[in-house]
This record gives sequence, structure tokens and C-alpha cells, in this order.
Amino acid sequence: MEPIISISNLTKQYGDKTVLNNINLDVYPGQIIGYIGPNGAGKSTTVKVLTGVIQDYTGEVIVAGKNLRDSLMDVKRMIGYIPELAELYDLLTPREYLNFTGTLYGMEASVIEERMVKMLDSFGLSENIDQRMDSFSKGMRQKVLLASGLLHNPSIVILDEPLSGLDANAVILVKELLQRLKQEGKTIFYCSHMMDVVEKVSDTIVLIDKGTIIANGSFAELRAGSGESLEQIFSKLTMADNLLEKAGSLASAMTDNTNTQQL
Amino acid sequence: MNKILLYLIMLPSGLWRRMGADVTQLKAILTVKLKMDDRKPLTMGRQQPNKKKKIKYASTVAFILSFFVGFMYIFPLIVFEDPYLKLFGLYTMLTVLLTFGLVTDFSNVLVDTRDKLIIFPKPVSDRTIFLSRVLHIFIYFFRSVFPMSLMAWIVWGILYGWEGALWFPVPLFFLTLMSLFFVMGCYSLLLKITKPEKFKDVIGYFQIFFSILVFTTYYMVMPQMRNQEVFQQFDIKTISWIRYTPTYWLASCWYWVQPKAAVLAGTGWLSILAVLTPFIMLWVTVKFFAPSFIRKLSAIDGVEVATPKKTVKHEGKSKLYIRLANMFNRTSASKAGFSIAWLQTSRSRAFKMRVYPGFAYVFVYFFYLFLNTNVAFADLFEKMSQTRSHLFLLYMTSFILLNAVSNMNMTEQYKAAWIYYTSPLESPGRIMGGAFKAMWIKYYLPFVIVVTGFVLYVWGIGALIDVILATANVTTYVLILMYLGNRHLPFSMPEQMKTKAGKAVLKMLFAIIFMGCMGLAHYAIYFVWLKVLLTFISIALLWTIWDGYINTSWKQLKIAEDAY
Repeated sequence: MEPIISISNLTKQYGDKTVLNNINLDVYPGQIIGYIGPNGAGKSTTVKVLTGVIQDYTGEVIVAGKNLRDSLMDVKRMIGYIPELAELYDLLTPREYLNFTGTLYGMEASVIEERMVKMLDSFGLSENIDQRMDSFSKGMRQKVLLASGLLHNPSIVILDEPLSGLDANAVILVKELLQRLKQEGKTIFYCSHMMDVVEKVSDTIVLIDKGTIIANGSFAELRAGSGESLEQIFSKLTMADNLLEKAGSLASAMTDNTNTQQL
Repeated sequence: MNKILLYLIMLPSGLWRRMGADVTQLKAILTVKLKMDDRKPLTMGRQQPNKKKKIKYASTVAFILSFFVGFMYIFPLIVFEDPYLKLFGLYTMLTVLLTFGLVTDFSNVLVDTRDKLIIFPKPVSDRTIFLSRVLHIFIYFFRSVFPMSLMAWIVWGILYGWEGALWFPVPLFFLTLMSLFFVMGCYSLLLKITKPEKFKDVIGYFQIFFSILVFTTYYMVMPQMRNQEVFQQFDIKTISWIRYTPTYWLASCWYWVQPKAAVLAGTGWLSILAVLTPFIMLWVTVKFFAPSFIRKLSAIDGVEVATPKKTVKHEGKSKLYIRLANMFNRTSASKAGFSIAWLQTSRSRAFKMRVYPGFAYVFVYFFYLFLNTNVAFADLFEKMSQTRSHLFLLYMTSFILLNAVSNMNMTEQYKAAWIYYTSPLESPGRIMGGAFKAMWIKYYLPFVIVVTGFVLYVWGIGALIDVILATANVTTYVLILMYLGNRHLPFSMPEQMKTKAGKAVLKMLFAIIFMGCMGLAHYAIYFVWLKVLLTFISIALLWTIWDGYINTSWKQLKIAEDAY
């Protein structure tokens, strides 16, 4: 099977700092990729390259047989992106915002309307469809963003911490949604720090650290019979020193200082 | 500069402590706030470039600009004879303009609710937070007062020697404080009588109302000021009521240097009031208003669940902006640009604040034209039709378009612009074109229609060619300005602090001057055939620039963003 996303020798530098260092990755259609790594590892930069926000990189990214550099618009049309922070024009109502984003993707107004109503209804926001979003909670905004990312029926969905701010029921809904999207043959690129979720939903887990992929495989492969959780594997691969030791020194930092009083 | 001001502000730390503030916390908050103001926010997909020099350059431009604005303030120092009257005039002008600046530019700092998650949950007292806001604004305020009054300072030094020069900054300091606490008092009162969720809207309307009031007063007083002789014969005794005004109290501080020149009785005593008033106002606001102010501030934006009140009526496709978007745009991208610009400009408080007073300015100018003619109302239209002042009116409307299009790119929520970058947009120009059309139709067209009606009524059908030529010129000119210096996506750029906005003000000033020149050139043309020819040339130019504008590439957009 041909990979739907094929990244080869992807490198990105900001001045002297190398944020992505020779990334090579193949993602196959219908897969859920759990893309994990510590803060500053290069996850968001990879996502920005894939979504076309960053274009001055070296290496090659092929999406559905098309070179990202040459066919940026075609690739963007295939991708649905849900960013990490709930940044949206909150003076608009969900209906107006989704109309706006749908129009940016060149969708027909009637299609936008039909899909938006169904989606917001599923997210339990049908009553809020004509309310300005400046009074929405973070979770409500996140649901609108999820709807905006899926509205144009993309074949690749990139989610950056999609569960942040969602309540328990919404988390179950999104996890179920991921499985349904997968069944429909969509590819999901899932960036998260929530190891338990990544462990459960991902077919393949890619671990990135300091701009380099340090592990790539199914959860079973990464575990290799050790019986460890993903969290343990993650910390083993990304931390040079013992975490327990670090926690200990953190706690003692508050008590060792003679000038500090207990508040 | 910030460091020096911060040091000076923290000198009376005993006073701040006595008022109930924690001095260490106060200093920490102020240091961070000033540091943040000086940093340029990052827009989508860009790293922080090293642009220290550029920021310095912007501050210098702002300084020079304020210095030239300061020429205006030497007017009362020259026209009046009495030194106390000179100072009274100067301080009144300064107070009005400072209060105006405070209301329009610093309200956001005062009622900033972003601290809610950062500072409010920390063990920081209400008074510390309140005082930190007041002093934060004071620092910015004083920074603009200094260059603005520099010219007046020099003139005062020339008139009254080294003693005068040495004395000059002292009352200015009190004046700044007085203006600040006057506005604070108004806001505290507004907060007391309004519901927290309504407060920001009320502030917005208050700002618009206040801007119009100041502008109107200014233009109603201006015609009176032309007659210099009136000023020179002015006797302070005939207006002895001025002793009850705080600006006269400030002027009476001159008593410390030249007591014999004082004509009004009790001037010396009044100077004590000038010193005491700001501190009494400070004490009253901090003591009585601070706790309720912070409590109410916490309640602003505090509603986490959607309130039904803010529901927007939905009538499907029959909505005006959707119909207009479909009517005037062919591509999806330009429709999207049209819609977002239309909707956001209707809802954004900051946009309304910056643009809506401009509508009133045009009307005020309009009435100013009437008042200035000194002709009986019955003969007014007859008299007007003999002049060619309709051109002035036609070019005045450009202010509306210029103001709307140059403000539609700025927002606090510039980070939400990520959506443009991840969407399949070949070129961002289509979005920009759609947004420009929205502003033209929504704000400029209604004005042009009203003005055209009036012009045709007074000047007759013959003036129609002037209307067409002026409209074409204004649209072309504003588009050229956008093309050359303001190529941004709608609501994608961060708002800038007043001190960094020097370049923008300068740009706007030059834009208006050039527009005036264009109006004058139009005025000089009498031949109708030439006007028709120029109309065609103007429309052809508009067509060409429009093509370039709507085909703006991502690369060109990035260059414009870097230059921002």
C-alpha cells in the first residue's frame, strides 16, 4: 500500500536552532498515528509543515502522491486541522464561523449549512448555534473547532491536543468519532500528551524528541513484551535521568532554601 | 526610558504602602506590564525577528510627532497677555486632549480582564492591582505629555527665564494626575451603575460619545479663535469664575515664582489646591473605588455559559451581508473575506471605537461649514451653491473609508487568523479584496449617497461629474494606500500600543494631507471634458491597482507583515 503521507529528510531550522532534524515517516491511509513527544520536541513544527503554515523547510513531504511544495492547495484541501489552543473569532456565532471557514474551503452554502447543523447537534451545541462564542467555555469552543476541521470532509485529519478542555462525555464522543473516521478510511494524525488516550486509539505511535524520531511502531512493538505503559516507555526514552529523582529534587527545592517560609 | 520612569514612580513607595498596596508586588507587576507592552506579538507562522532598532525608530517617530503636535499648545502662551491666563489656556487645552487620549487609548489597559487568571488568583490585594493599573497608564501618559509640552516649555523658558523653565514641569505632573483620576472616577462610577457584562459596551459607547463631544467642542470654539485681538484685550477679571476650575488652580502655581502678577484674589491659596487635589483624588479612588472596581472587573467576561441575550437572529440566506457577499463577489475566498469583515466590524468593540467617531466628525465638519458662513439660513444654500465647497465635503468622506479599511486588519484575536494559513487559498488577495468591498459598501457607500443627495440638491445636476470623479479618486487613492502599506488579511494583525503607533499616525496624517492635495487639484479644474477624462483615468487606475491587490501573494503578504 502507498503511504498517504510520506515525509523524507524533513529538517527545519530557526536561525542556529534545529527544530526538526531529518524526519522520515510514512503514514498509511486509515491509520491513526499518535504523534507524541516532550514539550519543544518538534511536534507542532511538524504539524505546521503538514498544514502549509511553514513552507521554508528542507526535505520532502508527499501527501496522497502530491508534493506539498508543488501542490500546496491540493494538499490543504485534503487536510482538516484542529489546533491546540481554542483560537477563533469569538465575536461570531458558530453558524457564522463555520460558514466562514467552509467558504474558505470553497464549499457550497447549502452543504455547509446541512453539515454544520448535524455536527453541532451531535456535539450538543444546537441550542448555541446562533449565540456569540465570546461567552463559550473552552470546551464549547473546542467543539466548534472540531466541527470546522471536519466540515469539508477531509481525508486526513490533524488534531493537536483535541481533548483539551472537553468534559468526560465529549472525550468519549471524540474517541468514538476517531474510530468512526478511521473506519471511513480517513487518516488521523493525533498529537497529544495524554498517553492513555494515545495508547488506546493509535495504530502507530511515533515518538519525537529534540527534532528526531526516536521510536516508531505499534504500542505492542514499542512495549516489546516489557509490560510497561506508554507513559513509562515515553519517560524512559525521553528523560536521561530518573524522573523520581527529579521529583525529589523539585520537592526539596522548596524546603532547602533557608529564606523560604512555609506559606 | 521605562526604567527611569519606573524608578521615579516607585520613589514614593511609602505613599503606595500607606494606600494599602504591596510595593514589591506593585513593582513586579509594573515591570512585567511595561516589558510586555514593548514586545511585538507574533503573528501566524513567524519567529520573533531581532528588530530592536526598528522599535526604537518607531518610538522616535512617535516622539517627533508629539513634539510637532506640541506646537499647537504654544498658541495660548502667545495670544494672552496675563501669565496666569496663558497657563490657564495651556492647561485647559492639555487637560481636554489628555482626557480624550486617556478615554480613547487607555481604556483597554484600565479594564483589561486578561489578568483574571494570572494576577487575580495570586495573593495580590485589590488596591495593589488597582494602583498598578493607574500607574501603568500614568507612565505611558507622562511619556506622551513630555514631548507634547516640550515646545510650550521652551517658549515659557524664553518668556520667563530659567526660573520659569525650572518651574514648568511641576504643575504638568499634577495635571497628568488630575486628568487620570478624573477619568478613573468616571469609569468607577460607570462600573457602579452598570452590570459587569454590559460594562465593556457601555465604555465603548462612552468613548464614542466623548470623542464626538471633544471634537465638536473643538470645532465650535475654533472659529472664535481666529480673532487674535479679542484675546489680547482679554481681562482676567471679567472671567473671575475661572478660579473655580482645576486648570486655574494649576495655573496659580505660577504664584510661587511671580506672586505680583496675580490679579485674582486668593491665587496663592488656590495653588495649594493644585497640589492637594490629585492626591486627594488618588486617595479617594484607591480607598473607596479600588475594591469594588476589581470585584466588578472580575465579573466582566466571567460568564462561562452562553447567555441567551447574545443570540444573533438567524434568518438563513435572507441575511443582508450574505446576499451582498454573493452579489458582489465571485470567488469563495472573496465571499469569505466580505463576510468576516462585515460581521467582525459590526461586533468588534475596538473597531467601533476607532471608526465610528469618524462618522460624527464628518457631520460636525458639515455643520461647521454652515456655521462658518455667517449667512442667514434662508440664503445659505444660495450662498453655498456659489462656492465650490461641495468638493471639500466629497473628499472629506474619504476619511470614513480610510479609517474603516485601515482598522479592519487589527484585532486582539489575531491568533485566530491561523485559519487563513491552513485553508486552500491560492492567494490571500481575494480575501483582502472581499474585505475591502465590504468596507466600501458598508461604510463608504451610504455616506456617498447622502452627500450626493445633498450636493445635487444644492449645486444641481451639474455637480454629478464632481461626485463621480471624487468617488473614483477617493476609492483609488485609499486602495493605493492599502496596496502600498497595509496589505494584511482582515482581523489578522495584533493591535499596537500607543507608543508604537507613531508610524501609523504619521502614515494617516500624510494620507489625509495627500487627499487634501487631490481635492485642491480637483478644485482647480473647471472644464467638464477634463473631469470626464480624469474620471476614466482614475477608474482605469483603480482597475489596475485592484488587480494587483486581489492577486497579492502569500510572499507579498509576509513582506507586509514583517514591515508592520
